[in-house]
Amino acid sequence: MKNEKKNLIGHLAGWITWKRFLFSVILIFFLTSILFPFYWMVSSSFKTKAEIGGREPVYVPASLRLDAFKELFDPSNPSFQDFGQNIMNTLKVSIPTAIIAVILAVLGSYAIARLHFKGKNILLNGVLLVYLFPGVLLIIPLFAMLAQVGDKLGFSVQDNLGILVFTYLSQTLPVALYMLTNYFRTIPDEIEQAALIDGCSRLDVIWRVTLPLSIPALVSVSIYTFMIAWNEFLYALIFLNDHDMFTMPIKINTIFNDPSPRPNVVMAASTIMTIPIIILFLALEKYLAEGLTAGGVKG
Amino acid sequence: MSVAVKKRKRGMRAKESRLAWALISPTALIVFGLVIFPAIFSIWVSFHDVGLHNLNDVFHAPWVGFENYARVIEDYAFKFQGFNNMGAAVTTVIYSFSATTLAILVGIAASLLLNRPFKGRGIARAIFLFPYVAPIVSVAFVWRWILDPRPSGVLNDILMSLGLIQEPVAYLATRGLSLLIVILLDAWRYFPFCMLMILARLQAIDGKLYEAAKMDGANAVQQFFTITLPELRYVIGATFLLRLMWTFNKFDDIFLYTGGGFGTKVLPVLTYEFSFKLYDFGRGAATAMMLLLVLALFLAVYVTVVMKNVED
Repeated sequence: MKNEKKNLIGHLAGWITWKRFLFSVILIFFLTSILFPFYWMVSSSFKTKAEIGGREPVYVPASLRLDAFKELFDPSNPSFQDFGQNIMNTLKVSIPTAIIAVILAVLGSYAIARLHFKGKNILLNGVLLVYLFPGVLLIIPLFAMLAQVGDKLGFSVQDNLGILVFTYLSQTLPVALYMLTNYFRTIPDEIEQAALIDGCSRLDVIWRVTLPLSIPALVSVSIYTFMIAWNEFLYALIFLNDHDMFTMPIKINTIFNDPSPRPNVVMAASTIMTIPIIILFLALEKYLAEGLTAGGVKG
Repeated sequence: MSVAVKKRKRGMRAKESRLAWALISPTALIVFGLVIFPAIFSIWVSFHDVGLHNLNDVFHAPWVGFENYARVIEDYAFKFQGFNNMGAAVTTVIYSFSATTLAILVGIAASLLLNRPFKGRGIARAIFLFPYVAPIVSVAFVWRWILDPRPSGVLNDILMSLGLIQEPVAYLATRGLSLLIVILLDAWRYFPFCMLMILARLQAIDGKLYEAAKMDGANAVQQFFTITLPELRYVIGATFLLRLMWTFNKFDDIFLYTGGGFGTKVLPVLTYEFSFKLYDFGRGAATAMMLLLVLALFLAVYVTVVMKNVED
């Protein structure tokens, strides 16, 4: 026993050098400062009102109490928030955004990557420059413009999830186009040429040759566009007024600003919003990390 | 080449070009219709008196010239009135430059850390990206809850039990301190982006350079300054500019952390307030135009310096 212990310490003493010690300390510092907020979010969501409002913070909740989640989901709760509706609204916005953006971007980036036409570079650079435009600059004219159009065509701009999808497309298409164009350029042209000579049409080639070869890129682009729409705050804040139409970010903001503060409920809702994103990210990290450097998520 | 072949070839070209435009036009229409046109339209709005009352008839809004701009510049929320009350213009510059610089510095440190092989490096890299991929709304509210000004706020509790502070601090509701905290939070959230960009470049550096330096007797610090840093110069520059542009027109973060109070009001938040709190769209657009002007400047630098270097 004693001998073993000595060995362990001896082993540790042999392993540790100043360099390694410093390295470990810095690594641990990074990991704690990154992970602690996430721990605090998840653990707070299981705390009771008493644990949240006490004189001292509760570092570990006594048990996994679902008080906060009941307020979000249980209709019999006195301050029921109907968060399920907000999750649905978010999905109703983010899934169509992802699907439409990927379809349109596939067509557009194929044209840019493979076909010759005048104005191609101007178009690509223009779309990229657009990506650097601030959302807050566009929101005023968009609001005025869409209100005008909506008035003429007889639809409401406010509380219209379809309009929201439309505006999200303008934010996601540039990235999607950029990422897919880069990817298509890496697929050897010869394969497609062979299919063309075999008598396939261009659309056939896209469907049967290019797309099956681009699955990794398609996955990461759709996840990105999904995430952008899932997280979007400013446009949703301005275009949505009706509580039943709120997406998750706006709802969480509303619960936070409630006169009676209930951080456990805010944290529970935030946890629900964050977990799927983290899981998606971890599951597809291999593809996604590369896309991040291509400006995948503007932030 | 015979005329017929030439003609056919030209026909193919035209066909290809038609197909290309057909494929790209939905994307182009949405992007230009919802971005380029609004951007131009917002110039128009900034010279007109547009409010809620005439929003439905916006094209007949009265022309007011530079009045909106004058009212922005004269506004107490905008102009510099001393270091206690810096106004949105100066705050934006301080905020975006320091947050970007800090994010880059932390990003360099993190990428050097992850460039060394160790057990669990893959997991560590994934975790390092969490702050950047997590939704800003969740992140902002967790931090507000951690920084809670009551003695029960967890940071207050930790610092008080360590004896570092005597009284609980209102981190996000104290002039000066709030700006610093928001900058730190910004670095926390955005360093992973810088890290990824820099890490990709780090891994492409030729190992022979370090071997040669070692032969010459250079130590780790010397190697960093003579090899690593010069090799990273362009990627750091490009990342800095990109992040600077994004931070410069960032709305969500500050709006969620402080609502623009306590000396943290930046131009995007001011734009929002003019437009959607006071419903003075003209003044809001004028503020946004000032943002755009600075952005155009950054962009010009980006295109001329960075894109050129990338091509080289």
